[in-house]
Amino acid sequence: MRRGHNYLAGAAAGVWLLIIAIPLYAMVSSSLKTRTDFSNSGPLALPTEPTLQNMLEVIASSFPRYLLNTAIVTVAVVALVVALVVPLAYVVVRNRGRAVSTIFRVFLLGLAIPVQAVAIPVFYLISIAGLYDNLIGVILPTAAFCLPVCTLVLSGAMRDVSPEMYEALALDGGGSFRAFWTLAVPLSRSGIATIVVYSALQAWNGFLFPLVLTQSVDTKTIPLGLFDFQTQFSVNMPALMSAVLLSTIPVLIVYLIARRSLVQGLMGIGGK
Amino acid sequence: MNSTRRRVRLGSGIIATAAAVALLAGCAGPAGGDRPEGEIHIAVYGSGDVSIEQDTVDRFNETSDVKVILDPLPGGDNYQQKLRTIMGTNSAPDIFFNFGSGSIEEYVDAGLLMPLTEFIEKDPQLESAFLPSVFDGARLDGVPYGIPMRPVQPVFMFYNKDVLAEAGMEPPQTWEELLTDVDILINMGITPIALGGADKWPTLTWFQYMYDRVAGPQLIKDAVAGDTSVWDSDESHQALSELRDLIDRGAFGDSFDSVSFVGGGSGQLMREGRAAFELQGSWNYGSQLTADPDFTANSLGFMPFPAFDGGEGDPGNIVGNPSNYYSVLQATRYPDTVRDFLKLMYSPEVAQAQLATGGLPATTTAAELIPESAAPEFVQFTYDLVAAAPNFQLSWDQAYPTAKATTIHNAVEDFFTGRLDADGFIAVMKSL
Amino acid sequence: MTRLSSSPATRGGAMRPPGLGWAAPATLFFAVFAIIPLIVMAWLSFTTWSGIGSPAFVGSENWERLVADPAFQQILWITVVITLAAILVQTPISLLLGVWAAGGGRTRAIVSAICFVPLLLSSAAIAVLWRGLLDPNFGIPGELSDLFGGSGNVFASQWSAIIVLTFVSAWQYAPFHTLIFQGGARAIPAVLYQAAEIDGAGKVRQFFSITLPQLRNSLITSLILGVVGSLTTFDTILILTRGGPGGATTNTAYFMYTTGFLSFDFGMGSAAATVLVIAASLISFFLVRSTGYDRMTSEKEGV
Repeated sequence: MRRGHNYLAGAAAGVWLLIIAIPLYAMVSSSLKTRTDFSNSGPLALPTEPTLQNMLEVIASSFPRYLLNTAIVTVAVVALVVALVVPLAYVVVRNRGRAVSTIFRVFLLGLAIPVQAVAIPVFYLISIAGLYDNLIGVILPTAAFCLPVCTLVLSGAMRDVSPEMYEALALDGGGSFRAFWTLAVPLSRSGIATIVVYSALQAWNGFLFPLVLTQSVDTKTIPLGLFDFQTQFSVNMPALMSAVLLSTIPVLIVYLIARRSLVQGLMGIGGK
Repeated sequence: MNSTRRRVRLGSGIIATAAAVALLAGCAGPAGGDRPEGEIHIAVYGSGDVSIEQDTVDRFNETSDVKVILDPLPGGDNYQQKLRTIMGTNSAPDIFFNFGSGSIEEYVDAGLLMPLTEFIEKDPQLESAFLPSVFDGARLDGVPYGIPMRPVQPVFMFYNKDVLAEAGMEPPQTWEELLTDVDILINMGITPIALGGADKWPTLTWFQYMYDRVAGPQLIKDAVAGDTSVWDSDESHQALSELRDLIDRGAFGDSFDSVSFVGGGSGQLMREGRAAFELQGSWNYGSQLTADPDFTANSLGFMPFPAFDGGEGDPGNIVGNPSNYYSVLQATRYPDTVRDFLKLMYSPEVAQAQLATGGLPATTTAAELIPESAAPEFVQFTYDLVAAAPNFQLSWDQAYPTAKATTIHNAVEDFFTGRLDADGFIAVMKSL
Repeated sequence: MTRLSSSPATRGGAMRPPGLGWAAPATLFFAVFAIIPLIVMAWLSFTTWSGIGSPAFVGSENWERLVADPAFQQILWITVVITLAAILVQTPISLLLGVWAAGGGRTRAIVSAICFVPLLLSSAAIAVLWRGLLDPNFGIPGELSDLFGGSGNVFASQWSAIIVLTFVSAWQYAPFHTLIFQGGARAIPAVLYQAAEIDGAGKVRQFFSITLPQLRNSLITSLILGVVGSLTTFDTILILTRGGPGGATTNTAYFMYTTGFLSFDFGMGSAAATVLVIAASLISFFLVRSTGYDRMTSEKEGV
């Protein structure tokens, strides 16, 4: 670790801190203002008479429904990704055959496929399948596009489980299945945490698939709801900012509770 | 040698996955083709009027076994596109809001819509209760495809009475007077005309009126019918140069392309006295009423679009939407329920609800009902304007098929921001 | 006791390796929901489809129109500009912040914790937030008109709209790249710095001769993720500029969306999407090859 002070970098960090913090402050402060207060004092001033009216207004709208939809999508995507990627990563690490390494390469190539590119064909296939405006139609492709990154991350983590442990287990007469449950899974917990964090953020914040695959209030997710709010209330800044703020609160709560593992998890995506 | 092996493996992989897809599609297929049971869906343009439609739906559901579900799609410039996306899927609504004419032409051509002839045979009032000129807005090749469901919606000028009083001006009757007023207002530091340029269709209304006033109503009719040469005419060039003059004077300020009418921006600029005029549809009254009833009652003025000396168009001509319509999906599972629901569109309850927000109902009884309105002066003005108009031009973006709307919107925006000159604009319109 | 030897060749020797069946669910799933759509995308690019009815084969018509369209060349150019601008702005910022934050201490931890927040927000939330703050009439420019000059309409000209997009994307993504560099910087052995200090090298010199070379892998990771991410910027453009003013910030992804879902030319939209996939693959391939990232991962993978 480096000792001593680097004033230049420190000053730069201070400036960046302001750049990050001021908009966040403006969001919170605006959401607590009345509309008159906002149009008199603008987004930067402190609220003169703080009010929760805007928040209540947003909560009284379809927002709770969007929240529920987003939660359903997130849980389903995470469950799917974990169920699919954990065995895949296991076989990628433990099976050194040609077929498996070909499969792994296909997933690596998948890293370069932008979600945006498949919006049209996915829309086409999902409408043929009769899943348009159905949360399942959003969940399936969202999960699929989490697979490449998650496979890369988790196979990296599983590789750290030392071969000696597998050999010891083999001496005990254990097979692949037991090795999976007693070694691979427990010992790559941090990697699994990373793919959970990654896929949860992808699903929670996903925009494009909900945009082109859903239309009704019953299937709307929060990011799309925010987009609609912006179209309809672009001038009602306090309500708009309240909606943005409320949309982030669930993630912020998770962040406050599990900051360390979240940060570690995300660091895991960039490689260790 | 390696690569051949890989190719074989890749090939078999594709076959396997294709089989899986076929399997999946096979399972899902029948479910996709069916319409939902026990309910019919209505897609509407999500704006303030939705509350009236929701009330109507609630009233209907009290006595109906088949339940009606209202799905408001977000308003703004994307309603038609979102609807168009849905129409090709299993979620196509049984009944949907539209603008008649070109906005439903593609659906009619694709055989998706139900001709309403049989409905009308069973219940003639579905046609006879509405003003014929309005009802005909959704008639294609003589076949009726839509029932009017929102008020009559001409576009005209709104203004802030306080600002005009402060500037010592009367509402301008002619184009020349408007130009003079624009210059005076700019000197006072007020944006003369509020424009929701971000939505693009408000910008289009300026073209609709200028072309009507300068060239007369026939030009756009010929253009839509396929005679694109009319765009090259002298009148076309003159209309564009008049508009260019207005823009270059600074009549719309310099940030109109970021202001949204749908989001409430242009309305707020006028309410706050930061702008004097706005060219908007009659629905603007309801929007202003919701935002600020006092301002609407005391300071919101309205007047016809100014006359243009020496132009071909009658100063009485108007543009806008005759009304909005409910059209019916051919594949609907419950045509009888749909018909019963559509009958409510000429019910006194709907007319009264429309009058309460300053809307002029599209029914033949409208004139008698005006005194009951919450804003009789405004509704009477709308009524007189419509009744006296020699021509009521449907908005261009709805007269043309939906797929062309984006092109038209981009062209009018680019002309206003100066990225497209008159020749460029004409070239785009000829390409439609 | 050869079974206990752990030379790489016989690693995991005794146990039979898990069979292909373990990979089947994920592979099948990925094939159905990612690979097949890609094939369908390529096929759609040779058809005309308006969203109603079925696609009809038209051969290379879409491709000919796309190649001949001068607007599409401008769109490709804008895509490149937006991508380069994003990388050039966010990489140095995240590099500096990451290295700074890697040093311990309470202040750094708190600052890092706050700077991390944008990473948690959806790009839709971020774009809506900034669209509100930068609204020419009702946001900050209205208040601080001196700072923003003239009308304060930052969305009115191409260059200012691109600056806004670049800034907002840096605001959103710098935290993630900072994390990558922070992780990388923590892994640099302290001995290297101690040795450098004995040699009398200053901070700046240490940064360029030790930190930067040691962060090579982090830099490559950050670049690849950054380029592929910026290349496909979509949500931010849709909400902040709608591709405007007058198409001046319409990149390939946004063009694909408007062509398909607003103008209902799904065939043409698919052709644009195909261009996007090819470009993203080529760029990733080029970056991976030219930086030796593939050797790096294959060492890690042991493949």
